[in-house]
Amino acid sequence: MSVKGGYFFRILEVDLTRGTSEVRSFDEEFALQFIGGRGFGARILADHLKGRKKRIDPLGPENILVIAPGPLTGVYLPASGKNSFITISPATGIYGDSSIGGVFGVELRQAGYDAVVLKGRAPLLSALSIQDDRVKIIPMPHAAGATALEGEQMVREATGDEDMKIACIGPAGENAVVYACVNTDWSRNAGRIGIGAVMGSKNLKAVAVRGSKDLPVHDLPELIKVSREGYDFLRSQELFKFWQDQGLMSVVDYANKMGILPTHNFKETVYDRADRMNGYMMEDRYKIADSACFGCSMSCGNVCLVKEGKYRGTVTEGPEYESAAMLGSNLGTSNFSYILKANALCDELGVDTISTGSIIGSVIEGQERGFLTPEDLDGVEIGWGDEDAILDLINRIAVRDGVGDTLAGGALAIISRWPEMASVVNHVKGLEQSAYDARAAISMALGFGTSDIGAHHTRAWTVATELENGTGWGLEEKADFVIYHQTVRPLFDMLGVCRLPWIELGFPEEYYQRYYRAVTGVDLSMAQLMERSRNVYDLTRAINVSLGMGRKDDYPPKRSFEDPVPSGPTAGKVIDREEYEKILGIYYEKRGWDEDGKPSLEL
Amino acid sequence: MHLTVIPERCSGCKVCELACSVGRENANNPKKSRMRVMVLYPHPVIRMPIVCKQCGVPKCGEGCPTNAIYKENGVVRLDQEKCISCNQCLTSCPFGAMFLHEDIEHPFKCDLCDGDPLCVQACPKEALKFHPKHILGQAHRLSAARSYAKMSKVEYMDDGQKKTLRYAKITKGGKDER
Repeated sequence: MSVKGGYFFRILEVDLTRGTSEVRSFDEEFALQFIGGRGFGARILADHLKGRKKRIDPLGPENILVIAPGPLTGVYLPASGKNSFITISPATGIYGDSSIGGVFGVELRQAGYDAVVLKGRAPLLSALSIQDDRVKIIPMPHAAGATALEGEQMVREATGDEDMKIACIGPAGENAVVYACVNTDWSRNAGRIGIGAVMGSKNLKAVAVRGSKDLPVHDLPELIKVSREGYDFLRSQELFKFWQDQGLMSVVDYANKMGILPTHNFKETVYDRADRMNGYMMEDRYKIADSACFGCSMSCGNVCLVKEGKYRGTVTEGPEYESAAMLGSNLGTSNFSYILKANALCDELGVDTISTGSIIGSVIEGQERGFLTPEDLDGVEIGWGDEDAILDLINRIAVRDGVGDTLAGGALAIISRWPEMASVVNHVKGLEQSAYDARAAISMALGFGTSDIGAHHTRAWTVATELENGTGWGLEEKADFVIYHQTVRPLFDMLGVCRLPWIELGFPEEYYQRYYRAVTGVDLSMAQLMERSRNVYDLTRAINVSLGMGRKDDYPPKRSFEDPVPSGPTAGKVIDREEYEKILGIYYEKRGWDEDGKPSLEL
Repeated sequence: MHLTVIPERCSGCKVCELACSVGRENANNPKKSRMRVMVLYPHPVIRMPIVCKQCGVPKCGEGCPTNAIYKENGVVRLDQEKCISCNQCLTSCPFGAMFLHEDIEHPFKCDLCDGDPLCVQACPKEALKFHPKHILGQAHRLSAARSYAKMSKVEYMDDGQKKTLRYAKITKGGKDER
């Protein structure tokens, strides 16, 4: 099997401490086994950790940050804009990755690199500039404290190239907020696990890239043929135009209808004012433009503008469903103008909307139940829907001001300081639960519990299918379904393409096998591609086990077991502990892991 | 025929750039496309595909020292034999619709693909149109007619839904008009 396209076989390694860089090659075997994206990232990270006696501090110079698009990133096919950031997470202390769309990953490949590895720590706050073969580290101490957008503009000026694609952190990343993001293309964010904090700890304000190379495609005529088929398939789907119009904001209504919309810190799962913050409201009064990632015809992005009221002039690309739910219904408000303001604020400060919304929700409930006093919160009383207090708290988290300092440490820091808060902080392994309630779907609970990065739904989004079609399934089938998702989804990240055409419009998986073959010349079946993905999941599990994770950490948030859903379509539902122990055991067995969830694979 | 750009509909997906580069330069490389989508934010917010307008008076040609630029059948073309790659045309074009790339010997621009532009076929948002010239301005003409202020109206029920019909009512000529 020889690889005839899809790779430059060049990884750029940057030593920020010394201010040097070198290009390392890799062999075909590496490309065939790990494909790209988080496959490359997991292997490079595992190699870095192997044999170390001492634990690496995620915010220390010993941590590495891998930026890895895939062999299909930037290729002429639907939704080829994806890129991954991989590191040890400061929020969880374990493996973490973040997938991001937009255009940045495409530009990185056009510069002739399959991945970038960032090591060490720059002496001064700097930007890394990559223009094809010319790599420079530009000191930018004057950019300290700049928002993600301001920083981006400063980098453009420093490099003298208006058209560079830039990944930039905001003050949250500089202040080591453990769920700080990296921002590209205005409002695309590599979020959740704290990529921004890792960059900040390396004194790296931004990575700027410009490339002009052809992307290596083995069989261009074949690619064009399969590509046109793919775009035609999507165009012919009944919901195609609806997706362009509303994108993920259509999920607000769906989640509310199914009884899985996070409301009041996941206490409830339905929200009586959901119709004031749904996709139709957005289209009617706020949406001014469509936005798409590279190569994508579904253009699920929405650009929204607040035209009147207190937040007039707020403009942002967003919100996504997650941001709207976690900053809206989760915090007891349906005011869409405020949701846009909060979203834009998080983007500028460079902090994850999901974790921020979750943490503030915990704070509000914590105060409601007396776990937190106003003294704990610097004299502030904050209730559900208290927009001013919420926005103020977001600002304080970003710069670690007052109580913001504890909140910036995420779920684990909050519970460490106020142990009672454990019953209202919804997290797994230190990562706050994203916007789907799991109490009515044990497969979703299992997905959250066994996700390799903590409670993030994108690893296994099984809730819709289980609620719609799977109530008759046994535990075996449900565990199988979680493993299927946890196997297919990494494949998208490894290839460098977006999974939304597949999950939302039924884009057949087989297309990716044909794209992979046309680009690389390698003829692998879907089963063989899935095998590689499954090995990568075992690898990230092995990394996590080496960092201390085990069965004790594979449980969904406490609320899933303790608080039955109070009302709505999923009323009364709660996860049965005994049943969960059973499905967890079944899951380990199917994965070939031992009873503590340890794979046989060594790092 | 005319290639029309509607920036309001553009999502910035760049499928047009891809279709152009693979179709015309045999390369998967948006930088070799004869169209470039400019995405600006946040001031202003606009997504604008930039492509040759096949000007009646091609400014790109005015500065050309060898008269390599000419117009033929509605398409502005560059004679590669005469071109000395001085690249003057890149800055002469007021729209920046002439392009250059390391791998390509001469400046290159849109030539409307022999009558069936690939970008128009590819665009998923109908932001690119290829239609007869007499259609230009039609959108504005429609808008002007639709928004004429002095229309009468009647409200009625249709299948349980309230609807409004606006119409320009006939008036007889004479002193009572205007």
